[in-house]
Amino acid sequence: MNEPTNPPPVPPAAPPVIPADFNRHSQLGDDPAERVPIPNFIAAVECVLRHPRRVMYQLREPGAGRLIAALLFVTVTCSVTYGLVAGSFSAGSQWWAAPVKITGGLLVSALICLPSLYIFAGLSGARVRLVELFGLVAGLLALMTVLLVGFAPVAWIFSQSTESVAWMGFLHLMFWFIATAFGLRFLHTGFAHARAKSNAGFLVWTVIFLLVMVQMTTALRPIIGKADTFLPLQKQFFLMHWADCMGVK
Amino acid sequence: MTASTFKLSEIGVLLRGEPAAVRSWADDLSGRRVALHLGVIIAGAGGYGAAMGWWRAPEQALLVAIKFPLIILLTTGGNVLLNAMLAPLLGLNLTFRQTLLAQLMSCAVTAAILGAFAPISAFLVWNTPAISPEAMHSVAYSVMKLAHVAVIAFAGSAGNARLLQLLVQLGGRRAVAGRVLFAWLAGNLFLGSQLCWMLRPFIGAPNLPVEFIRSHLAPQGNFYENVFRTVTGLLSDQP
Repeated sequence: MNEPTNPPPVPPAAPPVIPADFNRHSQLGDDPAERVPIPNFIAAVECVLRHPRRVMYQLREPGAGRLIAALLFVTVTCSVTYGLVAGSFSAGSQWWAAPVKITGGLLVSALICLPSLYIFAGLSGARVRLVELFGLVAGLLALMTVLLVGFAPVAWIFSQSTESVAWMGFLHLMFWFIATAFGLRFLHTGFAHARAKSNAGFLVWTVIFLLVMVQMTTALRPIIGKADTFLPLQKQFFLMHWADCMGVK
Repeated sequence: MTASTFKLSEIGVLLRGEPAAVRSWADDLSGRRVALHLGVIIAGAGGYGAAMGWWRAPEQALLVAIKFPLIILLTTGGNVLLNAMLAPLLGLNLTFRQTLLAQLMSCAVTAAILGAFAPISAFLVWNTPAISPEAMHSVAYSVMKLAHVAVIAFAGSAGNARLLQLLVQLGGRRAVAGRVLFAWLAGNLFLGSQLCWMLRPFIGAPNLPVEFIRSHLAPQGNFYENVFRTVTGLLSDQP
């Protein structure tokens, strides 16, 4: 009679797979240059473009409020500048309405999405404080709007050479999309440094953030064209609004 | 080589893309060297523009001689801020000054090649029957158009090849330099196409007056709208 065979030992559960590049970054602050405080908003622009890790490190340090204020100041200044260029297409009341709507829309969108980012960060296992996330979102907005200012001369040339609101809307959306992609990359790097166990939460939040932003452009319309009222009288979903602009039935 | 000893022979160094010299120039914003680059752009692209416009009329030659360098300089100026931001974001930590100088050097190479082809282009015009509505449908006109496209494409490619070499020198990694060059090219192509569209005509048309820009066409939208309309028009004509 054969001895009953023991079942083969079950190997221990493998740890969850983390994308290869997710934790490849060295510890923030390993480079002494990252520990140098960012003194003003000009340095903040420089750092957000060239030394994003320095921004991320400084956001964890005491006194991060000053850096966040500098990033928000950059955001407001740059979005007002880009808003002036966007408003130049229709001129008239859009000279002031477009900068107000673009700046306000950006800030309100970020504020609306901040709590959900905090929740998703927690669910992803990231060790990050709300103020640090707030700073990272301020960095995202600053980088986005600085890039939009880079696009401003091109946007201005096109706005002076066409009368099509749909075309200008498409162009601004394209510039916004490119700028947002770089901004989200900044936020993602910051998220990765918070030792999040997965990217899923960040990706879901990214989709939510993008949807909120494009819907905001519809809720605050017109940003490029003209209207009798500051805000629209009719509520609309952004896809319907885009279809209307393109004359799609 | 210091700023005080710059010579026209620097154009040769630029064309050959001598790594050490060109690398050091990218860090040195000397007024004289910038003037040399601007001079090459104005003379080279202007000379080629003059040859291109000469077929229509001497006045057209003068106007295109102004427009050609203007397009290069406006495209560079319009995108330099954006390009200076994109370079560090794509992994190449260039300063604004380095970005500006790298682009000016690349444009100078392109313009020098264009300038060198200007006499050949003028010779081609001289050998082509005078402009007329019939000539616009002739083989000669097609040959001339294709010759212009070939020369401009060659000059642009050479300028960008030198720019890539310089970016590799400045950044060290070919993949990063390639990425930055691609982003810069995309931006420059996007804006440059629109500027060409706004500043047309270049060769000119026999039945239209010689003018700096086509004033009667001005409100007809931008380059991309026109391409879109052409494509949709073609598609709607399909049975």
